[in-house]
Amino acid sequence: MTIQPGAPLRTRRVPSVSAEAMKTMAVVLADPNPIHLDPAAAKASGLGDRVVNQGPTNLGYVLDMLRENFPSGEIATVSVRFLANVFAGDDVTAGGTVQSVTPIDGGGHRIECDVWLDVAGRGHALAGRATVVTR
Amino acid sequence: MSIFDDLPGTRLTPGTITIPAAEAAQLAEVLGSDPPDDGRLHPLYAYIAAQRGIGVSVSELCALAEFDVNDGPLLGSLELEIQDRLRPETEYRVEGEIVSIVRKEGRTIGTFDLLTFVERIVDQSGRLMSTATVTFVLPRKGAA
Repeated sequence: MTIQPGAPLRTRRVPSVSAEAMKTMAVVLADPNPIHLDPAAAKASGLGDRVVNQGPTNLGYVLDMLRENFPSGEIATVSVRFLANVFAGDDVTAGGTVQSVTPIDGGGHRIECDVWLDVAGRGHALAGRATVVTR
Repeated sequence: MSIFDDLPGTRLTPGTITIPAAEAAQLAEVLGSDPPDDGRLHPLYAYIAAQRGIGVSVSELCALAEFDVNDGPLLGSLELEIQDRLRPETEYRVEGEIVSIVRKEGRTIGTFDLLTFVERIVDQSGRLMSTATVTFVLPRKGAA
């Protein structure tokens, strides 16, 4: 990948979001919200009949997409809006576009990117901006 | 006075957090990726550790905004500034405050409030590790 403004980032796809992984994430987040664990709770909340992926997991997919694109870089900032829910079984893809590349003192670059997470057939679930510093 | 006047600037009870090393593998399993191999934690811990380490639960935070957590707060937006990634088995202090609460109207969810708060993670020497600025969407059922 050429790191220059306008360059697309390599995408990262999760072909089927796992309901089992949501149970593990509930422990990691210490968040027992039943909409992530019990389809009946999701339905009772008017969210449909599938459990809802935790928002931080959706961001995690994007952060891992950035880690894969810039393996020697450090994610310095990320700012996202959560636009829609992701449900168990959804096919999601994280991606982005390089917006600017700025040299920094001592070598390396500060790379600003637009980032997003798409759900197949439904569009953005998350969108925002991130900065990665490479040395 | 109201929550819209009173809440901004309210300090959140500080707390501490230590992430066990085994958790790095759990998060990697959730995300379907390899954990970082440099002895530090995944960057998402800038949020996870802040949320778990602050000395107030999501339920208590919602209660400050006169909102019942059972009414379903939504994660609206999240900003992370990461000076340095956290290390496992290391104790950090988490502190923060409420930044704002603003009432809005939406076409799909009706009246809602945007509750924004900031959480900072600092190490034992007082060095800032990361800052999380979180906005919850609080649907106000029946509010005009």
